[in-house]
Amino acid sequence: MSMFSDIPVDVGVIYEGERIRRNDMYVELGGPTVQEKFELAKVRPADTIEDGKVIIIGPDIKDMKEGGAYPLGVLVEAAGATLDEGLEGVIERRIHGYMNFIEGFMHLNQRYDIWIRLSKKSFQKGLNSFEYIGKVLHRLFKSELPIIEKLQVTFITDPEKIKELYPQALQAYEARDAKARGLKDEDVDKFYGCILCQSFAPTHVCVITPQRYSNCGAISWFDGRASASVDPKGPVFAIEKGELLDPVKGEYSGVNETVKKKTLGEVNQVWLYTAFGHPHTSCGCFEAVAFYIPEVDGFGLVHRGFKGVTVNGLPFSTLADSTAGGRQVDGFHGLSIEYMRSKKFLEADGGWHRVVWVPKEVKERVKDFIPKDVVDKIATEEDAQNLDALKAFLKEKGHPVVAKWAAAEAAAGEAAPAEVKEEEGAMIPMATAATLPIMAGGFKIILKDAKIYAKKVLIRPIKDEKKVRAG
Amino acid sequence: MTTKNVHMKIGEMKTATGLVKNLEVSIGKIVDDSWAEPMGPTPMPSISALRDWDMKLLTKYKPFYMPDCDLCCLCTYGKCDLTAGKRGACGLDIAAQSSRIVLIACSIGAATHTAHARHLVDHLIEKYGRNYPLDVGGLNVKVEAPVTRLVTGIRPKTLGDLAEVLDYCETQITHCLSAAHTGQEGNNLDFESKAFHAGRIDQVGMEVADIAQISALDFPKADPEAPLIEMGIGTVDTSKPVIMCIGHNVVPSVGIIDYMKENKLDGKIEVVGLCCTAFDNTRYYDRAKIVGPISWQLRFVRGGFADVVVLDEQCIRTDIFSEAERVKAPVIAASEKNCMGFKNRTNDPADEIVADLVSGKVPGVLILDPEKVGEVAVKVATKIAPIRRKYRVLPEIDEIKALAKTCRQCNMCQRSCPQDLSIPVALKAAAEGNMALLADLYEECIGCGRCEEACPVKLQIHSFIIKAGEKCMLEEKNYCRSGRGAVQDTEIRNVGSPIVLGEIPGILAVVGCANYPHGGKDVYDICREFALRRFIVVTSGCSAMSAGSYKNAEGKTLYEEFPGEFAAGGVLNVGSCVANSHIAGAAIKVANIFAKRNLRGNYEEIADYIHNRVGAVGLAWGAYSQKAASIAAGFWSLGIPVLVGPHGSKYRRMLLGRADKPENWEVYDARTGEKVNVGPAPEHLFQTVETPQEAMVAIAKLCMRPNDTWKGRSIKLSHYIDLHKRHYGCMPPDIHLFVRTLADVPMTMKDEIVKILEAKGWKETVIPDPTLLPRMIRKKKE
Repeated sequence: MSMFSDIPVDVGVIYEGERIRRNDMYVELGGPTVQEKFELAKVRPADTIEDGKVIIIGPDIKDMKEGGAYPLGVLVEAAGATLDEGLEGVIERRIHGYMNFIEGFMHLNQRYDIWIRLSKKSFQKGLNSFEYIGKVLHRLFKSELPIIEKLQVTFITDPEKIKELYPQALQAYEARDAKARGLKDEDVDKFYGCILCQSFAPTHVCVITPQRYSNCGAISWFDGRASASVDPKGPVFAIEKGELLDPVKGEYSGVNETVKKKTLGEVNQVWLYTAFGHPHTSCGCFEAVAFYIPEVDGFGLVHRGFKGVTVNGLPFSTLADSTAGGRQVDGFHGLSIEYMRSKKFLEADGGWHRVVWVPKEVKERVKDFIPKDVVDKIATEEDAQNLDALKAFLKEKGHPVVAKWAAAEAAAGEAAPAEVKEEEGAMIPMATAATLPIMAGGFKIILKDAKIYAKKVLIRPIKDEKKVRAG
Repeated sequence: MTTKNVHMKIGEMKTATGLVKNLEVSIGKIVDDSWAEPMGPTPMPSISALRDWDMKLLTKYKPFYMPDCDLCCLCTYGKCDLTAGKRGACGLDIAAQSSRIVLIACSIGAATHTAHARHLVDHLIEKYGRNYPLDVGGLNVKVEAPVTRLVTGIRPKTLGDLAEVLDYCETQITHCLSAAHTGQEGNNLDFESKAFHAGRIDQVGMEVADIAQISALDFPKADPEAPLIEMGIGTVDTSKPVIMCIGHNVVPSVGIIDYMKENKLDGKIEVVGLCCTAFDNTRYYDRAKIVGPISWQLRFVRGGFADVVVLDEQCIRTDIFSEAERVKAPVIAASEKNCMGFKNRTNDPADEIVADLVSGKVPGVLILDPEKVGEVAVKVATKIAPIRRKYRVLPEIDEIKALAKTCRQCNMCQRSCPQDLSIPVALKAAAEGNMALLADLYEECIGCGRCEEACPVKLQIHSFIIKAGEKCMLEEKNYCRSGRGAVQDTEIRNVGSPIVLGEIPGILAVVGCANYPHGGKDVYDICREFALRRFIVVTSGCSAMSAGSYKNAEGKTLYEEFPGEFAAGGVLNVGSCVANSHIAGAAIKVANIFAKRNLRGNYEEIADYIHNRVGAVGLAWGAYSQKAASIAAGFWSLGIPVLVGPHGSKYRRMLLGRADKPENWEVYDARTGEKVNVGPAPEHLFQTVETPQEAMVAIAKLCMRPNDTWKGRSIKLSHYIDLHKRHYGCMPPDIHLFVRTLADVPMTMKDEIVKILEAKGWKETVIPDPTLLPRMIRKKKE
């Protein structure tokens, strides 16, 4: 028999996207009309909890009035020999997914923001107690995360009790966030690799460290750790850091070895915190691109949702295309938004001090993580829509890159930065008279009664050696 | 950009650097090779260039023949009896003959789309010039013509470039069709391979047509929020003159809309359409209205709503002029392909033509100048509408009752009905004054009119059905999203992660006509089911109309209920028939965007990528023309499975995989070079199903691919199992064939499925980097 045969409604991933409208709702738990609500996962010593126990403090669903909105606290307590507090966030985020598998039970948001609706239909089918919800959570957690040995679930609907626990929950989130953000690459022995994307981009390997989220923005180091411990043969795996070869660029012997193995030698060397030399590869679904702008010796950033053209005249689609597909491309770098919040964000290249342009939407999202001394010196699309305007803006604001321009100008003439932009004109002029005289090494060539027949003439752009000034 | 035959002569020229005298330069061809992407192995493939790839698919998915006809009557040796293994006078057996008919159908389909494209491109070049730039989706579309790039190796930038692409298509279609001549190709699989080739060319032809019109006529450009268009006969304001355009080619309609706008008549005249012309009208002018799918043109014309009927090309009833004549609506034929026997009045003064049509001196005219079509149609509609108001076009209920009494109950109508509808019973009831059964037929009738042809007492049975269902017809008021065109590159990037992480279980493309009893409702139900399941649902053509013709409990149509983005739970209408190319285009772009695979002339590699990775399924629900065959063939050759509805046996053969033969399901793991059994994913390449329920189960199953991550597979399996349990009442019998590792098992069904796996002796295997091509096995670099 199925593992949920004693639950009055169906349980399955197909209910994940189910929406319950107000008219179809029996009760609402949490949500916008309820001030205090939360869900929290805690790792406990094995002897302090009872496996499979479901505790209900306050009225159960069947005691609630149809159409009402009630406060709710959900406490998931887990124990296991290899569990530690670092995994609490991973456990907690699964509550959302698992609850949504229950037919007629809609769960939105997380933490202190939860919003749950139970449908009339499912209530009528008999889903009238938190006991059932607890059983579903218990079974799914135990089956999906075998590292959990014991799991106990508490539902609190008593307003007094919630009042008491709510501040504690907020404190727990706070502490967890601080710890996660404070965790440095140096603090851990293992990084994690992810090759989920190889199903579409066969040469891409993502390296996930405490200070570098996956390119897609979906997998943190903690997530990586949880996935790897649950399914050691799976697509997310541990990388032994090995020796730190370059502390500035972020080169580790263990990362090099793993990437070499997983890309079959396509990529042998990865520098985690620079967009030059041996940058991290880009898959296809990175959230944003950092692109080097040689004219100002700085980086532009652009995210997938940006509709227009960036400051160098190219839209996201073109920039993304310059780096996608599991390649290392000098000066073009696919990355996640969360990585922009990391202290190691492009650290070897100067980090935020080297960033000159970013869409307003992204800037707003990561503003608190941009160093104060440069945050107002970085242009958005409102400040600059082309390179001239950008140069003027940077000069006016005194962006750190400006200081480097003078130095570069001194050495000018050596290597003018090359345009990577392709000829976009629809019509290429045919040979004109002015182009006919041919100069070759100081000789003058005279064509007289010449007939030139060509079956085919190929016109190719002249490829400039791309030169990039690093660091 | 390519320029042909450049010749230049210079008498004498002196410059600072040199002297030139009598210089002649003659260049056969100037090729703009500024496209940095290297050319793949098969640019502009000949009819045999991709034969090896086709054979790989045809070995995996062998043709299973279901001949619609056992005879061959194509040449004067015949008719030849091909039953029981007999060969005809030319030596062909029934297998080869069946595939030969498939090739002929696909060639007709490809020719139709390509000729449509040619007409559009020539017309638009004449109007806008060869150098008019292509713009398919602005900044969010970098790969403007994925199919064309892939097949021909050309990256078109201007309308003129498209003309060159069509040169290639036309040559190939000629070769394809010539292979069907008596005493040419003799092998059934070779016929199939050539049919696949016709399908490839068809996709190019469609793409050329659509990107030309999107660019030059400023249709919505890859726009997820293309406008919602009023749809259904109930939305037509018959107090205004009504111009009804039928067919697929927007050019004459553009003439009408432009004329109307220039003379400030927009808003005073209704321009409505049937079939793809309706879509393209709305893409050009969002106040145009869609009446409905083409299968019901008899219904809408006989209903008398149109004051003028304008015909362009494809899928038009060839007796439509006599139907229009019955309701005193003048007809303007506007396409060379479809002259309908009318006199060519292209060079006559417009007012003369108008007078002749309004007075009824002639029932119809042929006008091959779209601007003149516009002027004549608008003027005729304006003048004739007040006169036509007086005509009663459908019989009254009393008349039907009286006429139904003359029915002899001979059953000929039912016997000739392709759907075997119970017409005699309904007529008997009507004779007794009960119109309910006739009204029920309104929902089931596919509008072919064969019943009337068969009736010995000449009853206008179809008109009776329309009258009985009139209330229903007039209540048809819905919304359909105008065709958005291509899928943005950026949208494809957005879905990358959810597809890899399994949040999007697959892509369902519902194309063609839903021409089957309750077919529209079936299409709506199927689309909604999969949109709710967070699949990406793509629609096109008449199916896109059917999908929008029903409402949910809140009174919202599908296009109001779901967003028009290429995203989980999106329902997007790409547009008319020729916009089907954007569906294949989206699959092709996945390979380019995620894996950075080159498209240019690189068909085999990309098809291999799509076949093994992109979980897309096509569905054509109702009876349809030869274009359906060629559109499907274009998908087959990319390795994308296609499902057809209950009439599907008439396609003469299916392409079925054999789940019971493990050796058929081996792929190479490109990482190791080892052969890995990946199970029957996808199980079939072309399959017919009889009910919408069967279709839903098959769709969920056909979305599985060898590269699925365990997360993706577990979600795909959940949907397959859930639908199978719901519609067949049990666990699928083949579940063990789709589980590679235990992580593939849907988490809520673990204990149940693990028991099944144990009972079946299941063994764990690996998830490979799958390919059917040994050359794609990666060499380890040291």
